[in-house]
Amino acid sequence: MKQNGQIVYAQNLAKSYAVGKREIEALRGIDFTISPGEFVVLLGPSGAGKTTTLNLVGGLDRPTSGALSVAGQMVAEGELHATERSLDALRREQVGFVFSEFHLLPTLTAVENVQVPLVWVDESGRDRAEALLCRVGLGHRLTHRPDELSGGEMQRVALARALINEPALLLADEPTANLDTSTRDEIFELLRELSNEGLAILFATHDHELAERGDTVLRLSDGVILDG
Amino acid sequence: MSWIAIALKNILRRPIRSILTVAGVAIAVAMLFNLLEFQRGYEKGLRSELSDLGAHIMIVPRGCPYEAATIVLHGGKWPRYMEEDWYSVVRGTDGIESSTGIIMDAIIRDGGRENLIYMGIDDDYPELRPSWKYERGGWFDEPASAILGASVARSMGVSAGDTITIHDEPRVPATQMKVAGVLERTNSQDDGLIFLPQHTLQKVFGLEGKLVVILVKLSDVSRTDEVVSSLRQASMEADAGMNVFPLSELLNTLTSLLSSTRVFVLAIVVVAFVIGGVGVLTTILMAVFERTREIGMMKAMGAARVDVFRLVWLETLFTTIGGGLAGVLLALLSGRGVVALLRLVLPHTPADFAMGMSGSTFGICIGVSVVLGVIAGTWPAWRAASISPITAIRGGSS
Repeated sequence: MKQNGQIVYAQNLAKSYAVGKREIEALRGIDFTISPGEFVVLLGPSGAGKTTTLNLVGGLDRPTSGALSVAGQMVAEGELHATERSLDALRREQVGFVFSEFHLLPTLTAVENVQVPLVWVDESGRDRAEALLCRVGLGHRLTHRPDELSGGEMQRVALARALINEPALLLADEPTANLDTSTRDEIFELLRELSNEGLAILFATHDHELAERGDTVLRLSDGVILDG
Repeated sequence: MSWIAIALKNILRRPIRSILTVAGVAIAVAMLFNLLEFQRGYEKGLRSELSDLGAHIMIVPRGCPYEAATIVLHGGKWPRYMEEDWYSVVRGTDGIESSTGIIMDAIIRDGGRENLIYMGIDDDYPELRPSWKYERGGWFDEPASAILGASVARSMGVSAGDTITIHDEPRVPATQMKVAGVLERTNSQDDGLIFLPQHTLQKVFGLEGKLVVILVKLSDVSRTDEVVSSLRQASMEADAGMNVFPLSELLNTLTSLLSSTRVFVLAIVVVAFVIGGVGVLTTILMAVFERTREIGMMKAMGAARVDVFRLVWLETLFTTIGGGLAGVLLALLSGRGVVALLRLVLPHTPADFAMGMSGSTFGICIGVSVVLGVIAGTWPAWRAASISPITAIRGGSS
């Protein structure tokens, strides 16, 4: 499988689901690559296949066919698929996720939420978590619980949590969908800064205005990339 | 952040539900703790009580020997007597180091509020009580004298040299006794007894020539069976109708009498643990369902199945261990009440029977709590570990 230093290499990637007796083709053989520091926007309406693409790249789901490698690790190639254990390791070490919903643990403070991914590797990383929260502008909210934070602040905590393991790739599934315009722009600018520092980002959105600000735009429609 | 911190915070998320679950386990553990401590305390108390008697063989008149033994151990009135002549037969039996004949009676007034127990003893009795020490005075110095146990002397407000009056008209005419001695506290049944010279008690209570029990101390304990056989044979030949039994047999019989009760209580304890375990399982499973999206997110962040399993299992273990510790505390706090209740319902309880806390009982209770957590936590932990992150995250909003 050719990679040429790319963080993501996807070739003829397809995914279909059986819904009852019907076969739904969510992705119909897409090709794309993401390089280190590249900000790729996945643009398309609901049902176009954006989330399916993110799930495949993040190792949360397995493709039906095609080849996919992430951060130098083979996720799928034809009939071959990575094991569950290696996909867990991929998410733990190379990939960070942010979603439109924040999925913070309500009993933990902001800094504790950021530390959660380190628990699986038996690290504390308190200093690193605090530094990341400062980086996303929440240095004054370290010990606040999610119910004491605004939507934009919760998304910043979720972003810091996604970055705590220093991933090579950030997968963002409409992370600004539930935010007001100014907060949306702040979050997007933060992501742009991270991208400029070398983080590869795959950003799914249906927002055309945001899409124009990415390095590369992949227009998805009915499971195919219209142009690249 | 650590596994422990996350698990504890998850438990505290629903405090009332967690407290009720812990309480269910605590009740079961408290029952187990009390059962084990009862068994230990009862046997210890009984052994100590029998050891205090200083004898190896007990001879009582025909009748229920265990009822007789209870009367002898705690003092009281038992309307069955043996002839004093039998005592000389016992003394002549080979293998006996010392023996003593005892006669007892009691005066009960005010519906049991005042209960004075009199024990008539002879000069051989002190050989069975080498540990006796006198707080005041000493051994009988005249036929109309008495030795008082520490508790009874205090409650009557008398000391050596004072005079007490025995009367229970019309059965016992008023008779004055000089207090020859007051014993130091022994923490045994002796503390509550009034000792009189054997013949004095027989005369005062109209029981001339009668005895209630003969206690026998052997020169060689390994010859117990042989001496018991000789005494039984002698009793049969003389048609004396005596019950001769070693005190070790009494201990075994009294403890085995309780074994059926223990089995019954143990069955209740098992049921309590099953109920507690189902409560834990339900609580943890409910928590897993409520946190499906969180668990999905944890998996998206790299948590493997084993990590999620470990987290939920830890939560279950903390719940049951918390229940175990609370149960031990509950048992310790309720120990006195349980002992008082057992004294009411059991036919015999040793005088110094108490429920404390032994290391083994504590270990067993906590060990059972851990096992309960391991069992009750397995299914919820497996369910949590099997959650699909995609389905979970798609499930709804946070």
